[in-house]
Amino acid sequence: MECQRVSYHYPRQTQGLTDLTGIFPPGKVTTIIGPNGAGKSTLLKLLARQLAPQTGQILLNDHPLEQFAPKEFAQQIAMVTQHHQLYDEMTVREVVATGRLPYHGLLQAVPAAEVTPYVTAAGLTSLADQMIQELSGGQQQRAWLAAALAQEPSVLLLDEPTTYLDVRYQQQLMTQMRRLAAKGLTVIQVLHDINQAFRVSDWLWLLQEGRLVTTGTPDQLRDADLLAQTFATQVEIVDVPRLGPYIVQLPE
Amino acid sequence: MTTHANWWYGGVLVLVVLTVLLALMAGTVWIGPAQVLHALGQPNSQAFVTVFSLRIPRILSSLICGGSLAVAGALFQAVFRNPIADPSILGISAAADFFKLGGAMLLPWLPGRNWVMAMVGGLVALAILTSGRALANPYRLIIVGVALDATFVGLQQLLSSGATTISHSTFNGLTWGDTTTLLILGVLGLAVALVIAPWANYLKLTDSALQNVGVPVSVIRWSLLLLGMYLAVSVTAVVGAIPFVGIVIPNIARRLVGHDYQTVLPFSMLAGAWLMLAADTLGRTVIVPSEISAATMMAVIGGPFVIILLQRGRGFHGMSTR
Repeated sequence: MECQRVSYHYPRQTQGLTDLTGIFPPGKVTTIIGPNGAGKSTLLKLLARQLAPQTGQILLNDHPLEQFAPKEFAQQIAMVTQHHQLYDEMTVREVVATGRLPYHGLLQAVPAAEVTPYVTAAGLTSLADQMIQELSGGQQQRAWLAAALAQEPSVLLLDEPTTYLDVRYQQQLMTQMRRLAAKGLTVIQVLHDINQAFRVSDWLWLLQEGRLVTTGTPDQLRDADLLAQTFATQVEIVDVPRLGPYIVQLPE
Repeated sequence: MTTHANWWYGGVLVLVVLTVLLALMAGTVWIGPAQVLHALGQPNSQAFVTVFSLRIPRILSSLICGGSLAVAGALFQAVFRNPIADPSILGISAAADFFKLGGAMLLPWLPGRNWVMAMVGGLVALAILTSGRALANPYRLIIVGVALDATFVGLQQLLSSGATTISHSTFNGLTWGDTTTLLILGVLGLAVALVIAPWANYLKLTDSALQNVGVPVSVIRWSLLLLGMYLAVSVTAVVGAIPFVGIVIPNIARRLVGHDYQTVLPFSMLAGAWLMLAADTLGRTVIVPSEISAATMMAVIGGPFVIILLQRGRGFHGMSTR
């Protein structure tokens, strides 16, 4: 997946994205980082086709996104967001079943046999018939992730997936992302925790005020001056025993 | 479907059967079970005329109307993601009634006039409701709907002060012709509703979540909305506007048989049919020989229900539909 000179500006707002060009390496975990208002979530929405670029284009397998039919697109790209996605009660199984909708006609029912493997793989078997609203944040997250994986996408988009998770779940989720990428899935995520981003990613996009500062591997981007400039704060990189380099934002 | 839900289905079926039997016998003249059976074999008797020409069409009409209105309400609630949305409260039925009356005065030659004009009225109300910013907020939707309802009721009164025919919204005096029309329109709409019931479930997801899985949101939203309008308007065309069935029944259905529209819709159909028949039968027997119209009965039952629902229940869980 790649962006070619992509720009998008919200009407009547200064925020937006200007002239982004870069790739998301296939089968790798790419994380988009940057200060608040840099346009990280906007970029993710463009990749999910919830917004359309005003100039430039986004390519998936060398085809512009707008060329994909809705179902075709949903078979390629799945998205997990932190925003509330339900207006009414639904069981875990029903939520996961929505991930199979791209593979069926509008009047066809989704066979249970197609749903069960994803429920099982997510470790949600015992919760399958519970209302998703009754589950903990981490369990809900797993259900939505299972629904996204049921789409059998080649690209998985995650918008701040660790926000509502405790540290243990965060690590589990990131381990799972690495495993999925190892199997060939392209993972593109927005993360707030910069150290987590450097630790779990193969590739980073560094955004600032709607512009792409640079892309590269964590090792290439682990530069105190670069990060200090982008995040407009003093940064020091310290070596923590058994953890490795750790980015510390110093108080003003 | 859970066994729990099965019991409720069984219960409402028994209620329907019992109420139908009661409705056959009760009325200005009480006709006992033996007499009913006897009368059906004697086409010239007074009892036959009462049962076959008066009571049976009335029973069938109230059953199909109740089922249609309950399902219409459930569909509107799914589309607007709002537990008290319903064609009667949002002014659809009032608009249909007003256009029906207008049609009777201005276009008396139009074939299928009542239904055609009522549909036009329903579409006009729907267009007003879905344009502008009413959909952005569940409270605003209801307020716009109530204002729309009041406007069309007012217009209708304005128009009818000089006319001889005034809509009563009663099952009294319905002929076999009316009943047949209701049955054809209603059965058709209800059958489609059962087929596309899963779509109502999809709308529990946000629009962006639906787009992410490749579901054409507008197509399913408009299909459900137009079907709900069609069902409500068909009742209005023949009988008149009847309030609250579409709010009371689906909300009870959700509590009894769960959240899945594939069970909520058929249950609403049965329970709505029962409620309408019970209300009508009660209305025509409590103050014999006079009677209370079905619309009045439903207002008396439904009004307090909605107040209780909003005071004690979850209230609005709906969000913007755009």
